[in-house]
Amino acid sequence: MTTAPQAADAAEVTEIDTSARWPLLLLLGSALLWLVLSGILALANLVQLHTPEFMAGCSALTYGRLSAIQETAFIYGWAANSGLAVALWLLARLGGAPLRSLNWVVAGTLFWNFALILGIAGIATGDMTSNAWLHLPAYVLPMLLVAYGTIAVPGVLAWTGRRKEMTFAAQWYAVAALFLFPWLFSIAQMMLVFAPERGVLQALVAGWFVQGAWTLWLAPLALAAAYYLVPKITGRIIPSYDFAQLSFWTLLFVGAWTGGRHLIGGPVPAWVATIAVVSCALLLFHYIVVAVNLRGAFCSGGSTVLKFVAFGLAAYVAGGFLDAYTAMRGVAVHTQFTHFSEGQAQLALNGAFSMLMYGAIYFLIPRITGLAWPSVPLIRAHYAAALTGTIVLVVTLIGAGCVQGHDLNTAAIPFADIAGHVRPWLLAATAGQAILLLGNLLLATHLFWLAAAKSAAPAVFNPAPTMEASVS
Amino acid sequence: MKNGFTFFLGLFLAVALAWTGIVMGSHVQLGHLAPYFDENEGKAFPERMPGIAAQGQLVYQDLGCAACHTQQVRRPDFGSDKARGWGDRQSVARDYVSQAHVQLGESRVGPDLATFGARPLAVDATRLTQYLYEPHGGMPAYRFLFEERKITGERSADALKAAAPAGYEIIPTHRAVSLVAYLQSLNNVYEYPEARPVEPAATKEGESK
Amino acid sequence: MSDLTPKDPRVEQAGASDESLQAAHEKLLGRKPDDGAHYKMLPLVLLFVFSGLIFYAGTYLNQYSARYDATVFNENGHSTKGVTAVAKIDPMVLGKKNFELVCATCHQVTGLGVPGVYPPLAESEWVNGSEERLIRIVLHGLKGPVSVKGTVYSAAAMPVFGKVAASGYNWSDDKIAAVLTYIRASFGNKAPAVTSEQVAAIHAKEADRKEWSAEELLKLP
Repeated sequence: MTTAPQAADAAEVTEIDTSARWPLLLLLGSALLWLVLSGILALANLVQLHTPEFMAGCSALTYGRLSAIQETAFIYGWAANSGLAVALWLLARLGGAPLRSLNWVVAGTLFWNFALILGIAGIATGDMTSNAWLHLPAYVLPMLLVAYGTIAVPGVLAWTGRRKEMTFAAQWYAVAALFLFPWLFSIAQMMLVFAPERGVLQALVAGWFVQGAWTLWLAPLALAAAYYLVPKITGRIIPSYDFAQLSFWTLLFVGAWTGGRHLIGGPVPAWVATIAVVSCALLLFHYIVVAVNLRGAFCSGGSTVLKFVAFGLAAYVAGGFLDAYTAMRGVAVHTQFTHFSEGQAQLALNGAFSMLMYGAIYFLIPRITGLAWPSVPLIRAHYAAALTGTIVLVVTLIGAGCVQGHDLNTAAIPFADIAGHVRPWLLAATAGQAILLLGNLLLATHLFWLAAAKSAAPAVFNPAPTMEASVS
Repeated sequence: MKNGFTFFLGLFLAVALAWTGIVMGSHVQLGHLAPYFDENEGKAFPERMPGIAAQGQLVYQDLGCAACHTQQVRRPDFGSDKARGWGDRQSVARDYVSQAHVQLGESRVGPDLATFGARPLAVDATRLTQYLYEPHGGMPAYRFLFEERKITGERSADALKAAAPAGYEIIPTHRAVSLVAYLQSLNNVYEYPEARPVEPAATKEGESK
Repeated sequence: MSDLTPKDPRVEQAGASDESLQAAHEKLLGRKPDDGAHYKMLPLVLLFVFSGLIFYAGTYLNQYSARYDATVFNENGHSTKGVTAVAKIDPMVLGKKNFELVCATCHQVTGLGVPGVYPPLAESEWVNGSEERLIRIVLHGLKGPVSVKGTVYSAAAMPVFGKVAASGYNWSDDKIAAVLTYIRASFGNKAPAVTSEQVAAIHAKEADRKEWSAEELLKLP
């Protein structure tokens, strides 16, 4: 319910968007630079996988270090920056008031990226830790935590200080992501880096952190964008919206329990892996409801943003089902420790998260800058490259994993032969990553062209119709 | 989601419950796990690795070897780890209690290393050092762990049998030496009671444990 | 309503305003889901799916959690509390090792002792004779002159080995039994083995006391 006059309702772009222009552009610009950098590094890393001689003489870029660097650059560079930008923007718009403390956001962004550069330099010179998704050296971690806090606090304040009482699904997911990550991050820092746990407990905490970072941080950021974009662009209400709450809490309460997923058959008591298997199965409910709620994205009617969102959602739901399938022990014995897990990670990170972020970026940039994107072909080319690259990368990595898993479990096949069997798949995966990198370059170029060009066309927004609270 | 406090309480509980269950629950069970003292041998297992091997573990960590190698053996009926000679029994939690930085790993681009110390390649330190310089198979060469030193007087006893420019020899650096020592120390073969539990003889058919 | 002509991707148009979007969904949460027949099935199906998943989860947890035991790493395995396979102690191996480590310092590896200083164990009446005396010698030590195979040895005392007061070695009953079994089967001796239970019985009976003397031991059966 609203007491504001109808004229204010119709305005698509208000002071909320324009006041946040520069902080959000800083976040998104950094995010895209990190995206391109991580894409280049990931390409080099894939090449090293099938051609070990590639850059083997350079100690800073040896396979193990390069793998950690490209993962860190992707997650803490691209995913964190873009996710924060989208979350802040969503919370501000849906909260109905401009973001406060934007100077803190700018300071936080600069410190976050500075700490990240320092951390990556540290990894390259030999300070990395052995924890998945947390390879950064100890000395940058507190700085990252504080920087995150300064960026996230305005977002949380936009929720607590919102003008409207009731809230929408996108806001729940966005504020959950902003609020939960510092807890995960600080606990993981304490228990893995500053006061390390003993023995195999390190692996357990690391697994809890990785799954928590996906289900409680990155996935909610992506879903916040999806839950907003789909009804906003289609103009139709979300079907079965009453299940969205249950689905939200299911993701949160069940998500982090999947931490033992990578320790099936490992040196931990059996119950840890069993709980992970069970949690992956329970999470299927969340994925089903998300698919039901957001199926409007698949009837996009020509909207480019919804094309990105549709692919992102399909990847997200498919990833969830794949996780539950590979968590079953009979399947895990073949897919563990292979490129299959890497393929799953790429499906989630590049397929689901990144595609949803691209959609959000194409949607929000005209609104915060007041400018239209300069070029239609660049957008279409980016979409084609992202789609093709992601599909090729994921499918070939999963194929490589299947071959590798089958060979590993057949003792008659000598270990040295396995690399030869897997090689063609890895070459194809390299091609997929190259296409993906091309797409990332196109997007980054496009954004900088928009920001730099003096003659960019102003964005014209048609008056937005009113949404009907009924199913058509 | 009207009530702000309940909502944030719910968010906090979501992460707190999972943390309590998985992390704290396993901490309670495994946090005080101690080495197992064997009367026959008169010492405790797992044995602490020598200091140079502990330095080597840091080298292993900072080179990111865990990106391609695991250090966890699966039980014989779950995969073919035993058939490949990677270990007769499953790795258990106690195998890692004396390791400062556990390197379980998640990927087997290269073979599992939990019992590497017992394999032919590891038994001879010179051969293993040579392997780091000139590996075969999919492993990249770690030549930056070695240095080219001008031969002054006698050749060094540590020099590798590898091609070097005239008048120079290839010497492993301390990092290479410690890494080799660490790899040689990887030998989780002791049979703890929990690694091969025995069925109680008195259990009748169908009786629950 | 959206039409099917492709929209200009350079500026994505909104299909609804934010206010109406939120208002419409607020209304939806307050409504009863009973208008439109096609709307009824979905909640039921979803609830069935969720219940099914919970049931599967519960059953799987029950079957494969091994009662949350910290020592069970195989999900098909059972807890073996109290019945773990402790490595069997081979008395000859353990006994030989400890003999050569400690006892041989005086009694020599050959068991022949040093003439005039340390008595021999080979074919000694003390070793092959009553276990009551032999076990006590090792448990609590022996002080004072003792006659072995006709020769009197008074130069040195036998130290205290058992887990008793003033003991420097604190050997467990199992270890003492193993060593005694070893010496009774070596150096030409052919006496029966000594069991841990025998040692434990004597240990419990005698508890702490000072070293024995040969006279006291000879009074025992």
